[in-house]
Amino acid sequence: MSRLGGHQAEGDLAPPRASRQDHSAPLERDAQQDVDALSARLGSDVRSMFSRSLHIRTVDTGSCAACESEVRLLVAPHYDLHRLGLFFTPSPRHADLLLVTGAVTRAMDGALAKTYAAMPDPKVVVAVGACPLGGVYSEDAMVHGDLESVLPVDVFVPGCPPSPLALLHGLLVAAGRLKEKVEASDFCFRGELLDGGAPEGGVPLR
Amino acid sequence: MTSHADLRNRAGVGNAFPASQPREGERLADLFGTSEDSEVLLRAIYAEDRVAVPSEGGGYRVVELPVEGDRYPGISDSDPAAFVEECEIYEQFGVRPRGAKPLNRLLVPPHGEYRFPHLGSPAPKELRAPHYVAGPALEFPVGPVRGVAQESLYIGLVTSGEEVIDLYLLLWHKHRGIERRLEGLPVEKALFFVERAEGLSAVANSWAFCRAVESVLGWTPPPAAENARAIALELERLYNHAAAVAALGQATGLSVGQAQGEIALEQLLRLNAAVFGHRYLFGVLALGGVARLPDMDALRALLPRAREELAHVLEALFSTNSFLDRLEAAGVVAPEVAARLGLVGPVARASAADLDTRRDHPFGAYRDHRVDVPTRPAGDVLARMEVMDAETRESLRLVEELVAAGDEAPEAKGSAAAQSSGTLRAGSALGWCESSRGEVLAWVDLDGNGRVRRARLRPASVRNWRAFDDAARSRNVFTDVPIIEASFWLTVAGFAR
Repeated sequence: MSRLGGHQAEGDLAPPRASRQDHSAPLERDAQQDVDALSARLGSDVRSMFSRSLHIRTVDTGSCAACESEVRLLVAPHYDLHRLGLFFTPSPRHADLLLVTGAVTRAMDGALAKTYAAMPDPKVVVAVGACPLGGVYSEDAMVHGDLESVLPVDVFVPGCPPSPLALLHGLLVAAGRLKEKVEASDFCFRGELLDGGAPEGGVPLR
Repeated sequence: MTSHADLRNRAGVGNAFPASQPREGERLADLFGTSEDSEVLLRAIYAEDRVAVPSEGGGYRVVELPVEGDRYPGISDSDPAAFVEECEIYEQFGVRPRGAKPLNRLLVPPHGEYRFPHLGSPAPKELRAPHYVAGPALEFPVGPVRGVAQESLYIGLVTSGEEVIDLYLLLWHKHRGIERRLEGLPVEKALFFVERAEGLSAVANSWAFCRAVESVLGWTPPPAAENARAIALELERLYNHAAAVAALGQATGLSVGQAQGEIALEQLLRLNAAVFGHRYLFGVLALGGVARLPDMDALRALLPRAREELAHVLEALFSTNSFLDRLEAAGVVAPEVAARLGLVGPVARASAADLDTRRDHPFGAYRDHRVDVPTRPAGDVLARMEVMDAETRESLRLVEELVAAGDEAPEAKGSAAAQSSGTLRAGSALGWCESSRGEVLAWVDLDGNGRVRRARLRPASVRNWRAFDDAARSRNVFTDVPIIEASFWLTVAGFAR
């Protein structure tokens, strides 16, 4: 019988639960406890702020592909971001959080700026890995060297590559940062437009 | 079985450039430029695979080709595999093949007021991607910002609605100029960047680089280090194949298969961390040896479960007919195309090319451990999946064999530290390795102070991306493209490096 079909699939899909009962190594058990503890905090923050819908857009600006691998694993069964109300979205217009990996190549300037501009306010930028921190490549004709010279960065997640656990922690910090921005934002337009622009510290309704 | 040379001969090779002519049975493995005293010199690397007795050079031959003025006799006329390299040499040095053949932009971005980092001096001109869409077809642009945590890459999909009529790639968004950065660096620092040229093949690339440097300096890694390197290489292959299987599950919309593949992948990455201290095996290799020996107890404890998980997901996928139907006849790379483009790795092996540097040009621990190389004739996604399945089993067997060999030879348990007491020498040499994506080459030219004068990195991704458009064009529809991409399992980082 195919093990991908039938009743077995559900049990197979739940490795964290199964692994704690079964034959997991001590190392893995500790990691899983960390994942669960972080997840609980992250989940409650995200739930309270966004009713379970904080959306993430990723942009690769010249990584070595290891960071991408770790980011992809965030939605894998061991970490499973979706249960926390965090989702990856292909559209920047739906995204609250921009996750940037890589050495910030100048060739990606246009694409990165367009992605950032397309995101609605308030938004946070998370720099993932040593490259956008400026720890690997120095500035030259090909790369900016760090992300902060291009975009306002809210959270840096160090690591080469940062493990999914470090990324979860970074997202937790970023969710807190976003909460501050949301609270500081004046979503309701009450008053005159200043010079036809947005009111002080706020976002006009259009 | 048709060899590369047969096909080349059948195509009627011109005699334009005697020095560059491959000998009988040879394959053009790489072509690159170097600049010496403001004079550009081209180097071609020919590989004679399946050499009966491995020689010192391991069956590779580095040929120097002179450039007259800014022209040289085109190699891609007789060997289409060289076209990508000819474009790259033009970007870097401003020299081009004779004739009016248009060259494509490869790695240097088209925009920017900044000075491009040419290795040579003349500015490249007339770089263009000759591409026309006519009639009822349209170009559907994908990228450079693509799906979730996918690498930046522009795919120009030309379609009439559903069928992929044509497809072309722009791969320069991620170019970091690593080869250029290596110039002038001490070899230890250069190794740091070599690992990050293609993070998912860090061990294979750095092993090739280490071997090249060790050949120049005459260092011999101790047996324990060679054993550890081979274990790291096979662990790298295992996690990459697991990742490819997970990606195939995602591309076919089979969420359960994807999740199972990701469970196996995460377990293998945790195994890497427990055995070598890094999930992606960065920093394992050092010049002259390894930076750390594997934790054999952790490996013995964790490997059975990883094996079980891998066997589970592969067995399950191979008994899911709806999944297999989706792979069959998708993304076909015909054996002639694979030979003509000089493909390597699982993509070539799934198209009947019987190549594997671990067997054909044995190095390190592979001199004592034979590798069984699977091939398939069909050239479709299913064939590539079957090759990856067979290689996964072979890698698991090899890891066990290497662990046992490490136990049996007590003298091998000694120091794995680099024998760096040797004198520094100037010179150039080639190193090679077999990553999960195929043959990896690294050529270095060192000055007498242990610094890099010029380094050429050729990850397998450089070789295999050039077959992607062929595979996608072969009567596929839109939704086949992600499936083909997952089955190739290449990195843009390795190509753009």
